[in-house]
Amino acid sequence: MQYMFLIYLDESKFAVMTQAERDGFGNGMLDYDDELRASGHYIMGEPLKQPSEAVTVRTWDGALSTTDGPFMETKEHLSGFILVTARDLNEAIQLAARMPLATVGSIEVRPLDILERV
Amino acid sequence: MKFLCTVLVDHTLAATMTDADWAAIGKESMDYDHALMARGIFLAAEALHGRETARTVRVRGGDAMITDGPFMESKEVLAGFILIDVPDAAAAMDVARAIPMARLGAVEVRPVMAF
Repeated sequence: MQYMFLIYLDESKFAVMTQAERDGFGNGMLDYDDELRASGHYIMGEPLKQPSEAVTVRTWDGALSTTDGPFMETKEHLSGFILVTARDLNEAIQLAARMPLATVGSIEVRPLDILERV
Repeated sequence: MKFLCTVLVDHTLAATMTDADWAAIGKESMDYDHALMARGIFLAAEALHGRETARTVRVRGGDAMITDGPFMESKEVLAGFILIDVPDAAAAMDVARAIPMARLGAVEVRPVMAF
């Protein structure tokens, strides 16, 4: 089974950290990715830029509307994602719990769907 | 530049759709992925299972706390993503506006950080 880890972070928690602490999380995440690669769980992952760089697009009833900022203003924002292969949901949760950013943010774990042409 | 288009769908709207409506927008979504591949700007795309399948993990003081459901309950819920590589933000917006599922919710477009 494939699972997506959605990483939600409160940016204000990082603003009060020292640069060394922030670097610790960055390096820790790169190490975490390497561990997932070594154990054969890793598929891909990407970190995102600040929520202030987001634009939200809607095309309801054929009309385009765009708004600056993320789709919803919240304390914790989507900051990145990782796709993994895991035996089952339990293994996926155990992998997510080892992520350094799980100690400061929230990691949503969700199975991937398969779109099939019908 | 890499951009992540996260696709959010209004689940109350989705609940009113017939199986045929779903099949049609599913097919349109796959065709759209193939069109992006043909243009050489497609990196990855995935669809997610429903919000009821989500679990949220937080580790505090060394203990993992696991809750059922997505990280936040909202009317528009994350349904999937498309990751693209395009020259600039304007090109990313052009891709986002034509994502079929944008008609059922919203697409958040955000640049990927270089790490």
